[in-house]
Amino acid sequence: MTFALQLHSVSKKFGGHAVLKGLNLDVATHEFIAVLGSSGSGKTTLLRLITGFDSPDTGEVFIGGRQVAGGQKFVPAEQRRVGFVPQDAALFPHLSVADNISFGLKDLSKPERSVRVAELLKLVDLIGFDERMPHELSGGQRHRVALARALAPNPDLILLDEPFSALDAELRGRLRDDVRQVLRTTGTTAILVTHDQEEALSMADRVAVLRDGEFAQVGNPREIYQAPADIEMATFLGDSVVIDGVVTDGKITTALGSLTPLNKVVEGARGRVAIRPESFYLQPDAKGTGEVVGRQFFGHDALVEVKLPGALIRARANGPFAPEIGMRVTVWVRGSVNFYAN
Amino acid sequence: MAVVAVLTSLAPLVYLGVRLNEFGIEKVLTQTLRARSFELLANSVVLTLAVAAASILIGSFQAWLTVRTSVRGRSVFAILAALPLAMPSYVAAYAFAALLPGFKGFWAAWLVLTIGTAPYVYLAVSAALVRSDAATEEVARSLGLGRWNVFRRVTWPAIRPAAVAGAMLSALYTLSDFGAVSILSFDTFTRAIYNAYRSSFDRSAAASLAAILVAITIVLLVAEPWLRGRLVPTDSRVRKTSHIHLGWFGPIAAALVLIWAGISIALPTISLIRWNFIGLSQADTGELFRALANSISYALAGGVIAAIFGIAVSVLVVRYRSKATVLLDKTIWLTHAVPGIVVALSLVFVSNRLVPQLYQTSALVIIAYLILFLPNAIAAMQTPIAQAPKALDEVAASLGASRLETLKRVVLPIAGPGILAGAALVSLSVLKELPATLMLRETGVETLATRLWNETSVSSFAAAAPYALLLVLVAGIPAWLLNRQVRQSLYNQADIDRILERE
Repeated sequence: MTFALQLHSVSKKFGGHAVLKGLNLDVATHEFIAVLGSSGSGKTTLLRLITGFDSPDTGEVFIGGRQVAGGQKFVPAEQRRVGFVPQDAALFPHLSVADNISFGLKDLSKPERSVRVAELLKLVDLIGFDERMPHELSGGQRHRVALARALAPNPDLILLDEPFSALDAELRGRLRDDVRQVLRTTGTTAILVTHDQEEALSMADRVAVLRDGEFAQVGNPREIYQAPADIEMATFLGDSVVIDGVVTDGKITTALGSLTPLNKVVEGARGRVAIRPESFYLQPDAKGTGEVVGRQFFGHDALVEVKLPGALIRARANGPFAPEIGMRVTVWVRGSVNFYAN
Repeated sequence: MAVVAVLTSLAPLVYLGVRLNEFGIEKVLTQTLRARSFELLANSVVLTLAVAAASILIGSFQAWLTVRTSVRGRSVFAILAALPLAMPSYVAAYAFAALLPGFKGFWAAWLVLTIGTAPYVYLAVSAALVRSDAATEEVARSLGLGRWNVFRRVTWPAIRPAAVAGAMLSALYTLSDFGAVSILSFDTFTRAIYNAYRSSFDRSAAASLAAILVAITIVLLVAEPWLRGRLVPTDSRVRKTSHIHLGWFGPIAAALVLIWAGISIALPTISLIRWNFIGLSQADTGELFRALANSISYALAGGVIAAIFGIAVSVLVVRYRSKATVLLDKTIWLTHAVPGIVVALSLVFVSNRLVPQLYQTSALVIIAYLILFLPNAIAAMQTPIAQAPKALDEVAASLGASRLETLKRVVLPIAGPGILAGAALVSLSVLKELPATLMLRETGVETLATRLWNETSVSSFAAAAPYALLLVLVAGIPAWLLNRQVRQSLYNQADIDRILERE
């Protein structure tokens, strides 16, 4: 199997502070991988090492099987064939849309170039925008031009640096779909760097969670979301209710009753379980132990706060049918849960 | 390339050092510590500070008024603000002196040099204002700041680097001005150096005075980064800007600008025209044309060579900032303050000793221009080059462009207006240049400036008049070009406004 990108124990320090600590990652050809991390996790540094704007202190980087960094070897950015879509699009302000897209097409003849530009404009759905200048485009259009520009030279790999963070929610959602669609069409291997869990989970084939310069967990979005490696990961990836529990007879005894563990557990172990708000089922019940104390209505669903003896939980409920404040409910947990021993 | 520029620029200082050493430290000390030196020191320093302060006030005000406000006639004011660049300060000095008998001394020199150097601040600040983000001003107003506080806390910090860079040029110009102070009989270092050089074969006095002048420049240079503040890269995104409506202050501001235009432009122009009625009838047209052709060739050659070296140095200093490149930048600035007459003398000395083939050739004059005016080019180029964001370099690299290619295809086109402005500024300065041209030109080659000087030095105001007029007309073309650059970027801004309004 050929890999589009391989990192072998890549490390980088800035002024004595270790930003990346021996990262290993293999990205298969045609794969779309998201590197998810909060600010300061080292994701920007990682990106700069792959594009070739910086070099690692130790470790090796391979792109398409070719070593580009490590040891005595360093291939500069302009020879790596790695497409790059920066955060603010960074279109060349003095060039038209067509000239921006054809910037990296220096090996093609003029007619070939205009054919390629036309292809890409079609791909990103901007036909007829050739002669526009960057300042005449909307935010979403600018990002699509930036994507087309990066894809134009047919790179082996494309890096997207938080490309949607400056846009409003609606545009962001639409652009995500567009980008995913475009990359699926071209079959380009892509690495998306982001701090947005939803973005990473919804777009990528695989998610690599970067924490303090290390990959805390790598897996497909479903795995990552359903089986977080530890309790911090569980809370980082989305809203979770954390509750203490003890393993007894293969089950976990908690304030919410006896729950079935998803992972392997040791009899008698003390620890915590993380439960997603959507895993709760609230049954209206005058004799129930829970009392609804808060409710946030979102239209399609609602977040309901329920006070139980010994716990306060937030449950996601179907919007129109969510229980009212003051109602008594019985709380059920659907499916199995992850248990993390202390 | 940048290293060549530095080595060339260092020649005058090396010469100065060698000379001082040859004379012996004791002789130099007795020369420098005379009461006369302190008088010259006070004259030069006070004049320089007064001119720089006046230039900042006048230039920044004109820039703010023409770029940021909706005052009527601002496009005309923009032309008027840059127009004095068309008149070399010694021509203005000549015009004032010929018009008003008894016009001489400190205030005369202050007025003439402020007229000549305020446009440097105006051009630098208006360019910075065009590129700065007016939305920040609107935000500041929404946070409850009044007009004055918006200017003080938001606008001024954004334009301060440009204003200080412009005022620095103004101060350096004043320190090294020779023609105007000589015509207006105000004793500064340059005039004293020239007189000392001319009046005796002993050059230790001239060299000693020049050393003090260099020392003052060093003080200015040390203070500059502190005065300039941090250069804040502006947001590269283009936003809609709205002009400030001045209300009752509008007519007053317009009147102030017009009064200044009357003093700085109308008065000397009237004088020039009056003297030309007498002068033109007796002029030798052949002489006039030869001088014109020589002036233009020197100006073009000077502009092109300064642009090439200016780009190299600016890119190095802005993009690859390190201790070495900052030192390089400072060195080039330092040599700019060495008066033209000292640069010329040193080049005579250097060429005599090392490359006699160069002595009394036009190549030597061009080298002198490069030494003298490279800082003007760099001052104009550095800010626009710094404003092409580094992210663009990285994108270009990811698309396979080498550094040189990125420079050619990204940085230069974006910084193009600034670079052209820099080259034009140098050509203008070359046209106006007097002392170095006087000393170094090829035997028999006369320029407009040298002809004007020859006639003025024998007090024949009428014979000098056609050269003065021609000099103004020829220097006026690049001044107009330079001004157009700034106005064009204003028009572009207006187009963007319209497009954004439509959406």
